[in-house]
Amino acid sequence: MVPCAAVHVAMLADPPLVGYRCSPMSETLSRTDPMPADDALVRVRGLTTRLGDRVVFDGLDLEIPRGKVTAIMGPSGTGKTTLLKHITGQMQADAGEVLVDGRDVARLSREGLFTLRERIGYLFQNSALLTDFDVYENVAFPLRQHTRLPEELIRNIVLTKLQAVGLRGAARLMPSELSGGMARRVALARAIVFDPMLILYDEPFVGLDPIALNQVLKLISTLNQTLGITSVLVAHELAAIQRVADRVILIANGKVVASGDPQHIAQDGSPWTRQFFGGEADGPVPFHYPADDYAVDLGLKEPA
Amino acid sequence: MTQRRSYAVGTGLFIVLGFAALAYLATQTTTLVNMDGGATYSVTASFTNVGQLKDRAPVKMAGVRIGSVSSIQLDPKSLNARVTMDINKRFDQIPADSSASVLTSGLLGDQYIGIQPGGSPENLKNGSQIILTQSAIQLEDLIGKFLVNGSPNSKKGK
Amino acid sequence: MNARVKPRNILVDGLAQIGEAGLFLPTLLAAVPRSLRYFRETVRQIWFVGAMSLIIIMTSGLFVGMVLALQLYHVLAIFGGTASTGTVVALAVYRELGPVVTALLFAGRAGTSITAEIGLMRATDQLSAMEMMAVDPVAYVATPRFLAGVVAMPLLCCVFSAMAILGGHLVGVTWLGIDNGTFWSNMTSNVHVWKDVIDGVVWKSLAFGAVVSLISVHQGYTTPPTSEGVAYATTRTVVASSIAILALDFVLTAFMM
Ligand SMILES: Nc1ncnc2c1ncn2[C@@H]1O[C@H](COP(=O)(O)OP(=O)(O)O)[C@@H](O)[C@H]1O
Ligand SMILES: [Mg+2]
Repeated sequence: MVPCAAVHVAMLADPPLVGYRCSPMSETLSRTDPMPADDALVRVRGLTTRLGDRVVFDGLDLEIPRGKVTAIMGPSGTGKTTLLKHITGQMQADAGEVLVDGRDVARLSREGLFTLRERIGYLFQNSALLTDFDVYENVAFPLRQHTRLPEELIRNIVLTKLQAVGLRGAARLMPSELSGGMARRVALARAIVFDPMLILYDEPFVGLDPIALNQVLKLISTLNQTLGITSVLVAHELAAIQRVADRVILIANGKVVASGDPQHIAQDGSPWTRQFFGGEADGPVPFHYPADDYAVDLGLKEPA
Repeated sequence: MTQRRSYAVGTGLFIVLGFAALAYLATQTTTLVNMDGGATYSVTASFTNVGQLKDRAPVKMAGVRIGSVSSIQLDPKSLNARVTMDINKRFDQIPADSSASVLTSGLLGDQYIGIQPGGSPENLKNGSQIILTQSAIQLEDLIGKFLVNGSPNSKKGK
Repeated sequence: MNARVKPRNILVDGLAQIGEAGLFLPTLLAAVPRSLRYFRETVRQIWFVGAMSLIIIMTSGLFVGMVLALQLYHVLAIFGGTASTGTVVALAVYRELGPVVTALLFAGRAGTSITAEIGLMRATDQLSAMEMMAVDPVAYVATPRFLAGVVAMPLLCCVFSAMAILGGHLVGVTWLGIDNGTFWSNMTSNVHVWKDVIDGVVWKSLAFGAVVSLISVHQGYTTPPTSEGVAYATTRTVVASSIAILALDFVLTAFMM
């Protein structure tokens, strides 16, 4: 295992920081591969998923372009988290395929999947820091698990990443001592220790105050612009999305119902976008959970 | 990682403590204590009845353990029980005319062989036979006698 | 992980959980070779489930030995057999009380904390996060705790039993006045290494350690990701472990007799 195949300068903070590009267990997915002709990093085709009685995806097709920030929006419970889990191979679809960097995720062996995951950063809805370890060890965790780097180098990488998210000073705090925004930034630092090709953010803005929200927002665009990391952003905040995303995909009822440029998608005229971005209570997404006839339930009318 | 090392040390101590406890239980509270270390010499004795005496029962002198029973066999000629005892070499000053009895520790305890010293200048040695013996007192016999003879303060049986 | 239905009958539920835990065993064992990479984690867990249980195990052992000696002395006095007090304490502790009481305490002290810890890791997505960092959570979280329980339980049982003998001696000899020599010599001529110490203190407690850790880890691993789920899971650990310990004890005793 050759640590740190290449070293490049990341303009994440000032003064410029050195970001180590460390090779995980395998070189097969290294970013130094010649760029495939395909400019979509993730390609989802005909994805159909049933969970219990519910059809979550019904022939979903979408593409995530390389090097861009793509926002995925949709009402709660449409399966945005489920989609991210399909991309990382944590869940299997009933039909259809998910290609990441040209590879069918569902057909990867366990090792192949793990190798792929080392190239994907995932920011969980609730940070998911390991409660046993302090901030430093949380960020160091993937390095310790997959490399045999000397302690000095690990320290360098961890501090670089923590500096990038502005939390170098918090290295020795425990996760229980962090605020929600700090925890999310630590999780982000952990997600980028291996300089992934793809970062998936699951609702990174929920529960953040405006300052913390702006900090996370700034990090997302810095990571995308300086390192060229492809980003998938699941969020509900259109205003925030308009500031970072290159493209928005709106999912509802298991299908893509609208997609396009974030500045104009709200005005594209479809009933979905009108309800979703207009925040109307009723529309294609019904206000009422499916139920029997109201009058029958109240006993005012004989059942048909 | 000093933190990690301290876990390792603590865990090590815990494991050592556990094994020490096991070693204590196994060697200090079981019949292993009675495994006579060192060389022994064997002596025989004949009893008309050994009662509940078993192999490896202790052989004691003045209450101190000096060896153990190694075998109990019926002598086909005399129809007596022939008991062979292994006695620790440290106790090689036992007079040859000592006597052996089958005794019971407590009222219901296990039986063992007690040796009462005689006065001969000769000592027992490997292969010697103890001539003077007293057999086990049978509890059934005692109770039988007691019931037949009656006793002033005996209560009725069941 | 389907959200579990609230248990209607805690006993039936406990039995069902034991069955499910049994089905989890192959998964755990299959991860043993992979978990050797995380040997340090196993060591750390032995510290948490074993060494951290020492205080409660030692105190309980001492008191169990003391009360046994006190009770048995008075029963044996009826037959004039108080000399056997030490023997009976030792036999009762080595064969039954040592392994069983240690296992029950272990389930309450270490088992519940294993379940709550893994359950909370599940609820806060830490297990999924490990999956995402290409670390197998069974090998990293579940198996080390299971192995730690299997290792710690017999060691705790040895300590418990030694403390019980000490307690029995304290009450029997120091308090009730049995002759010290009689106490030990009676014990040492009736207690056997293999039949009593090894079969009871070692083998039985090894089996209990495996069962309790298996149940605790399984409960944690399949906890529904809610705070209520974690609470139910810890209760289930105690109920299912207790049933399993007592039932298995009967079976093992029947085989060893
Ligand atoms: N393991 C599961 N079993 C059954 N249903 C599930 C499971 N996980 C998620 N769901 C359901 O799938 C739907 C999509 O969930 P999710 O992807 O979390 O939605 P979102 O992230 O868009 O809010 C929800 O209705 C949820 O109840
Ligand atoms: Mg979600």
